[in-house]
Parts: sequence; structure tokens; C-alpha cells
Amino acid sequence: MPARPAKKQGAIMVEPELTAEQQKKRDNIRKALREVKNLPTLPGIVSKLTRMADDPDTSTDQMGKLISKDHILAAKLLKLVNSAFYGFPQRISSLNSAIILLGFNVIKSLIISASIFELMEEQDVELWEHSLGCAVICNVVAKRLEINDPEEVSTAGLIHDLGKVAIKMELPRESAEVAALVESAEINRFEAEQRVLGLEHAEVGGWLAKSWNLPAKLVEPIRCHHDPASADNEPLVSAIVHFADIMIRGLGYGHGRDIWVPPLQPRAWELLRFKAADIDEILDEVEEKLWDVKGFSLDIKAEAATTATKG
Amino acid sequence: MNRLLVAGNADFLGAESRMLLEAKGYQLNSCERPQDAVALVLEDPPDLLLVEKGFAEGGDRQLIKAVVSCLQKSNIPILLALSADELANEPDWQDAYPVDDIVIKPLVPVDLLARLRLAEARMLRVFDNNPLSRLPGNTSILRAIRRVLAKEEPFAVCYVDIDNFKPYNDRYGFSRGDEVILMVARIIVNVIEELAREESFVGHVGGDDYVFIVHEEKAEEVCRRILHNFNMVRNLFLSAEDVAAGEFVGLDRQERETRYPLLSLSIAVVGTGGGRYRHSGEIATAASELKHYVKKLEGSNYLLERREPDSAGGAATNGGDEVAEVETGKK
Repeated sequence: MPARPAKKQGAIMVEPELTAEQQKKRDNIRKALREVKNLPTLPGIVSKLTRMADDPDTSTDQMGKLISKDHILAAKLLKLVNSAFYGFPQRISSLNSAIILLGFNVIKSLIISASIFELMEEQDVELWEHSLGCAVICNVVAKRLEINDPEEVSTAGLIHDLGKVAIKMELPRESAEVAALVESAEINRFEAEQRVLGLEHAEVGGWLAKSWNLPAKLVEPIRCHHDPASADNEPLVSAIVHFADIMIRGLGYGHGRDIWVPPLQPRAWELLRFKAADIDEILDEVEEKLWDVKGFSLDIKAEAATTATKG
Repeated sequence: MNRLLVAGNADFLGAESRMLLEAKGYQLNSCERPQDAVALVLEDPPDLLLVEKGFAEGGDRQLIKAVVSCLQKSNIPILLALSADELANEPDWQDAYPVDDIVIKPLVPVDLLARLRLAEARMLRVFDNNPLSRLPGNTSILRAIRRVLAKEEPFAVCYVDIDNFKPYNDRYGFSRGDEVILMVARIIVNVIEELAREESFVGHVGGDDYVFIVHEEKAEEVCRRILHNFNMVRNLFLSAEDVAAGEFVGLDRQERETRYPLLSLSIAVVGTGGGRYRHSGEIATAASELKHYVKKLEGSNYLLERREPDSAGGAATNGGDEVAEVETGKK
């Protein structure tokens, strides 16, 4: 294991000095987010899953594959399997295992209980594509680095922006403010969140994942995806998610009007030990897989459109 | 045991019943939308459920199904509230409304209270279930074996146990051991629910021993899937260093340091076809003989007793990590 690097090495300041007012703001936000009960997902996914659940020939594998394409359902699934009630707190970090342990009926019930975004906004679709794309890159990189369980890494990539969804649901006013500030001040989202909320979505996602009892293997990469140098136990997975997050942004997935691609942290680059030629190969491999993401995305949008006209 | 989930149209419970139940210490939670009720059942399960028949266009059935189909929650008593007219139409208690009791609308508060109390009492009385996995225990297992012995079509009685569970427990501690026991229970139940629902049974003998019964033609597929799923999930219950080493070090019965292979599963499968067994004890004996062989194989395996109609000793096939022909009955 590499020695823990100094905090300020990265491009991002991790622990800014807080005024009393900022601290209070943070506490309030923490409180608001503790209440977050139901993260809604996209109508296209839900109607597709509901149809699958009604079909007696559907297998758990098939449903699992679909759920692993949705960052919100994936997060819910992991929340459920790691809840005290099911008996595996902080243990289950992969979606396949979650599906094996929860079983078909629980997954069906999870789908029934899923609520959907009232309005499918462009941004929601974008974040969904971004999350899925990030998971794809995480998987490619993890396999390349011969990590034991590459699926675990893609799961971390899939749900890394959990905090963004939570902020949007629970703090809609502040969320709109952040979006406006990104455009008017021409700053990146990270900075805008710091100014409006006094914290940023990676931290929020980290809290949430922790309060849901998710394993540290997932909590840390979520919390540290902007600053992998601050990861204590999972520096490599955090660096991969960080790298994938930036690469997928560079490829134009999910900017949400924040057009600035954040810089890659030098420490992460050191950990990954890639050469320029590696990046070319990764890009080739990723590009092919991202066609599937695009295709699936069109599919889901069409599904949502038919649901909308029916309903 | 006093958290009651009330699912139905607004205020079908009535203020009077609500007041009485709350005074008697029940915590009431009301849901008017079935998906909210299902979400609650999933994430924060109640102790008792009261459902109004016909609310939200089939939402009642959806909710009941969600509760009874999940084995972990199949011991939440469900009461169905319905009108006398609806009762006269004889609802399908078997498939559509597999509930524990009914109450007639309009509800009479003291009547409702009594029925809730009785449902709880019944629940406690029939508790042969394993406290950890909530699966049926030995009494139910024996009954299930006797039931399939009496049937004409062949069933497979399958005995599962976890290899190297004791050293795992010593190394990781009891609460981690409990997690593994629960993990295996969930895997067995889920695989059977998916592949062989009809007339199947899953029981928990105790500790790391389980029994499941499926139609004989399904047995191999079920065993293979159980072993596959176990191998997928297993590493989450082991430390990274033990996984990397492929073994762990523990003390044997003589307190000597010994290397143990990582956790694996062994399944011994005994078929009831051909009328060779008349007694559940004979099945258990055949299984323990078979288990003796399967436990000797490395990794996760199942061993199937193979019957030749007119031969005395049966041959056996096994599957899983090892593919080898093993003979039973000799030596």
C-alpha cells in the first residue's frame, strides 16, 4: 500500500476553514438529507422493469442486468441488502451478489415501490448516461489493472454521483441556484456547490452511502471521487472512479451545462501508472461499449415517450 | 410486536378503531398507495399487516404477494378487511388472498383488537422456525420428507452443509459466522424460488446444515445454480488476504495450527423415486453416507445418488468444481 499522501497534493482543497455560519449551513443540509427517503428513477427504466417482472420467463439475471444500468435502482438495491434487516450490514458491494441474496421476489417488490421522476428532465437523462458511462470505463480500467472484482469498481462508478440526485431531490432551490451559478459565473459545478451549499456532492454522496450501511469499498470511492488522494483504504478504486468520471466528461457525457472538464489529480495518475498508449487503448475499448449505452439510452427514452402518451 | 401497517383507502379503519389500538400500544402506520406500503414492507417491515380488500385496483393483492412471497417476511400475519358481500363471493384464499385472518367491514374496534392479538399468539405458537434464517426447523423438515415419500412422483431430498465452517467461525467470530449461515439460506431459497417453485421445501436443520426438497428432475440444475451463486458471493465474506492466499490458518481440535481451504458447500442428494425408501430415517442414513464422500472432494460439490433399477448399491455422480465418478456403498 502506498503511504498516505499529503492532503493538499491534489487539485482540490479538501478541508477549507469553515466559519460558524458555514458550519451551520452544513449541519442543516446534513439534516435535510438524512430525511431522504425515496430517490425517484427514470420512467423508461421503471416501465421496462415492470414489464419484465410481469413476464414469468424473466430471470433474476435479466432483471439484474437492467438494474445495473440504473444508478438509482442500483443504489437502492445496495441500500436494501446492506440494511440491518437483511442481515448483511456493510458487507455487499456488488450488484450481482445483492441480486443473488435478495432474490427475485424482493427485486420485484423493489420495482413496485420505485417511484419515477415526475418530469423527465434533460439533466436527469444526462446524469443517468454519465453514471452508466462512468461505470463502463471503471470496468474497462479495473480489468486492465487486473483488480480482483472489477464489478465492484463499476458499481462504485455507477453510483458515484448519488449526492447529486439527493441534493436535487431534497434541496431543489439550492440545486437550481448551483446550476444558475455555473452558467453565470462560468465556474465548475464543484465550486458552485461549495459557494451555495458549503459542501459538494461527493461529500453528500459519501454521507448518504455511509448512512445506508454500504461497505467502505463503495463509500470511499463515492466520497473521494474528486479527491482520491484523501482515500484511506481504497485509494486505487477511488483513483479509478476519479479517472473514469473525468474521462466520461471529456467524452461529452453528462455535463449538465457545466462544460468544464475538471483536472485529473496527479496522485491518481501516479496510482494508475498508465502511459499515453494505454489511454488510446482504453479509449478504443470504451468507445465500443459506449455505443451500447447510447443505444440503450435511446431505447429508454422511447419507452418513456410511449408511457407518457399512454398515461 | 406491535407495529401495525394499515393499507387501504383513507380512513377505512375509522377513528374509533385507531384510538383503541393506539391506546393498547399499537404503533399505526397508514398507507393509501400500494407502492408506499410495499416500500415500507421492504425497508421497515411491520409486525402485522391489515389490508383493505380491493383498494387501489389490485394494489391489495400486489401488497399481499410482496409480503408472502418473501420468505424472510412470511411470518408477518396478514389480516384482510372486507365487506360481508365480498365475503359472500368467496374470495380465492389459496392464490389471490393467502392471508391469516379476516375482519368484516365496517370494523368493530374490539373485534379487530382481538383478532390482531390472536394472530400474534398463533404466530408464536407455530414457531418451529430457525431464529436466524427464519426457515422451518426439524419438525417441519421431517413432515416434509414424509410428505414426499408418500407421493408417487420422484423428489430429491438434498442435504447442504458448509465446509470448513467451524474454523471460519473461530477465525472471523460468531457474528460473521451467522452472516454466512444467513447468506447460504438466502441463496438456497432464492434459487429454488426461481428455478423450482412447485412443491418445493427449504428447511434449516440448525447451524450450517440445511435441507431442501425439489422435484427430482430439477435437482441437478438447482444444485449447480446454488454452488455457482455461492461461489459468486463467497469472497465478500472473506478478508482480502485470505482470498489472496486461497486458504486460512486456524487451530484444529488438538490446538495445532492447520491450513484450511476457504469456505465451500457440499450437497448430498437422495432421490425418493423407485420406492426404495419407506422411512425418513432411511433417507437421512443414505444422505449421511453420501455426504461422507462429497465432503472429501475439494471445493464446492454436489453428489447425486444414481439409481440403477435392479442393482443393489447405487453409483453416484457429482458435479461442481470436481468432475469425478464416485461410488457409494463400497468402503
